[in-house]
Amino acid sequence: MLFNSLSFIVFLGIVLTLYYSKLFKWTNKKRMLLFASYAFYGLWNPPLVILLWISTVVDWTAGKRLAVEDNQRKRKFWLLLSMCVNLGFLAFFKYGDFLLENFVSLVNSFGFDYKVRPMDIILPMGISFYTFQTMSYTIDMYKRKIKPARTFLDFALYVTFFPQLVAGPIVRAKDLITQFYEEKRATTNQFVWGFFLLTIGLFQKVVLADTLLSAVADDVFGSSKLLHGIDAWTGTLAFSGQIFFDFAGYSTCAIGIALMLGIILPDNFRYPYASLGFSDLWNRWHISLSSWLRDYLYIPLGGNRHGITRMYVALMLTMLLGGLWHGAAWTFMVWGGLHGTYLILEKLQKKYVPFKITKWNGVFLAFITFSCVNITWVFFRAREFDTAWNMIKSMFYLQTNGEKILDSFSIIKVCVVIGILFLCHWMMRNTSMKELSQKTSPLVLGVVWAILFFLIAIAQGSGEQFIYFQF
Amino acid sequence: MNLKKSFLIALVISTIGLTCWELYWRSQGYYPTLNDEKALWSMHRAKVEKATGADVVILGSSRAYFDIQLNEWKAETGKKPIQLASTGSSPLPTFNDIVNNTDFAGTVIVGVTPGLLFSTTYPKAMPWERPQAKVNHYQDRTYAQRLNFLLSIPLQQNLVFMSSDEEEWADDIDLKALLRRIKMKPRTNNPVMPPFYYFGDVSIDRNMSMTTRTAQDTAFANKIIDVWKFVGAGAPPPDKEATMSFFLNDVEKFKAKGGNLILVRLPSSGGVRIGESQGLPRTEFWDDLVRQANVKSYHFEDYAQFKNLKCPEWSHLSAEDAQYFTTELAKLMLADNAITTSKTN
Repeated sequence: MLFNSLSFIVFLGIVLTLYYSKLFKWTNKKRMLLFASYAFYGLWNPPLVILLWISTVVDWTAGKRLAVEDNQRKRKFWLLLSMCVNLGFLAFFKYGDFLLENFVSLVNSFGFDYKVRPMDIILPMGISFYTFQTMSYTIDMYKRKIKPARTFLDFALYVTFFPQLVAGPIVRAKDLITQFYEEKRATTNQFVWGFFLLTIGLFQKVVLADTLLSAVADDVFGSSKLLHGIDAWTGTLAFSGQIFFDFAGYSTCAIGIALMLGIILPDNFRYPYASLGFSDLWNRWHISLSSWLRDYLYIPLGGNRHGITRMYVALMLTMLLGGLWHGAAWTFMVWGGLHGTYLILEKLQKKYVPFKITKWNGVFLAFITFSCVNITWVFFRAREFDTAWNMIKSMFYLQTNGEKILDSFSIIKVCVVIGILFLCHWMMRNTSMKELSQKTSPLVLGVVWAILFFLIAIAQGSGEQFIYFQF
Repeated sequence: MNLKKSFLIALVISTIGLTCWELYWRSQGYYPTLNDEKALWSMHRAKVEKATGADVVILGSSRAYFDIQLNEWKAETGKKPIQLASTGSSPLPTFNDIVNNTDFAGTVIVGVTPGLLFSTTYPKAMPWERPQAKVNHYQDRTYAQRLNFLLSIPLQQNLVFMSSDEEEWADDIDLKALLRRIKMKPRTNNPVMPPFYYFGDVSIDRNMSMTTRTAQDTAFANKIIDVWKFVGAGAPPPDKEATMSFFLNDVEKFKAKGGNLILVRLPSSGGVRIGESQGLPRTEFWDDLVRQANVKSYHFEDYAQFKNLKCPEWSHLSAEDAQYFTTELAKLMLADNAITTSKTN
């Protein structure tokens, strides 16, 4: 079920009514939330709920055993079981065809004429999110960082909690499970603020991503021609904005909906397009994934504890695997590799050519960072290397003889939206929406809210999927 | 921060804003209509799964959609057909779907628009991609999508501003469409398609009828004609060999299942008819198709009652003429025993 759909409005209305009615006690409210979460997922593809159940049962059992087991070998077994099941799901459903395709290419490169039909496996929505979330539980249990969930219901709800089930934020057990122990009710202010965040998230998705930017990005990246430099840059900027508004929009909706239930989810984006460098970017973009990768991949790989070379290797491996997390294609690996390279170059710059960031060079640095990020988006969005390479050629050689496929209004529209986006991120980078709204008069906030709502209503949209559902 | 106050202000302003928006568009002549979308098509495609030998399925492009009126058909034959024709589409992908993915062995009426049926079998070409997208949607639709569609019906039927048509008409009023209306100096010399305005209303049972404005306002009908001229001028040559081979293969399978296929060449007029006669001559295309398919067939030129029908925008009949055409066509088919009546006295 999509947040930007009529069925979700009805679904949320029913859930909130039941949640705040006096029909149920807290345990039954949690059961209701769990059932609603399965319905939320099952309305997309009912049989795939079974994967969620398997993941839940395996990690619950592993966590329970890890809590009481002292034998190190047995502890390792339970951890490995959890990892094998979750990563096995990912390997089969997400990377099955990719692995097969590459295996066939490898065999053929040795001169064998080996052919095999793709398995055409359906990709369960949000599988990368919930498997990472439940793995964090067993890993933290293995490291004795957290206590086991008190009840199976609390754990199952942690795995399945519908606001963040299919596209995050990826929440750690210590931040979410404990919230289920005591009855939660949103205060009036929390409820209304949650509704405001839901409106903001839907505005980002329906109006900004789908109505203003997606068509331009689709046209440019769908073209097989060598494009004019302006068209290539416009398409890349459009995608850059689209993916931010789409994904940040989902996270904002998720945080808002959870808040309406009195549950607090962590921020997932903090104005990333005004980042001053790439370490800053990864502290601001998809924070829940980057912190997951840092804690469960980069640090176990050695982090910065074993010298500079090892640190760079760990960094690069983390970013490459982070790229692969997004999709089963070499283009995503290149995207991760570019980010890894940027991070290494930034570390080298800080070591050998340090300089102080002031408010004057800051905006320039933010602009450079944003421009470099745009180059990585080319590989993220292009389905084929040929397309990506054509785009890069058009962008850097500024092909004036390339094909012009965009009309003037589309170019102006994208430049205006992205320009405003960049400036907003720059002005907001050290504050938050909450802080800003506290400084705003209720009348102005109400008028802005009404405008957002009005634009969502007249944009309507066709209930398009969020981009990150496929990851 | 007084959020409750802000919320109430937002609620009042947005309610007033949306009411004014709705009233404004109504004052401009808009009225609530259903969107002709994949979800609606899929709802009717689902009926084929349970259809019996007595059922009739209509396939084809917009002519079969506009010209065969479901109530008139039912009045003559006793049973409402399942309307699966769709605009700008070749009937080949949908016929292929019905032949290969269902057990249906009743009657299939294929409306033949030569420029589309004989156009192509290339999956990325518009006449193929459009109907195939509907077939794919039917096969892949989720329960959530079905629910969304059911919930959207009363809204579409009652609110003008709830109309975001997949066709992306030039006079749509959703935000994306309003932005599309902004025109600036073109960057290239590529030909620009004339604005394509909404010209047919669809009902929940997928009965399509031409709007009164198109039938009565010649200037408006001429704007639709401009689109046909543009599309006709840019159309690639037909691929008779590939399309015939694909279609006849499915025809044989359908006949082997006991299905009854009927081909109907629906009326066209003016420049469209001239273009079709020149580019896709009857003897070379229609007659050859009928001969090789070896099924019942009806060409509007062969019947006195159809000869004087004029399409206001050269390609489709007005609602009134479509009703007359449907009644007469059903009578002809019944008289030929091409179909049977389910009417009981």
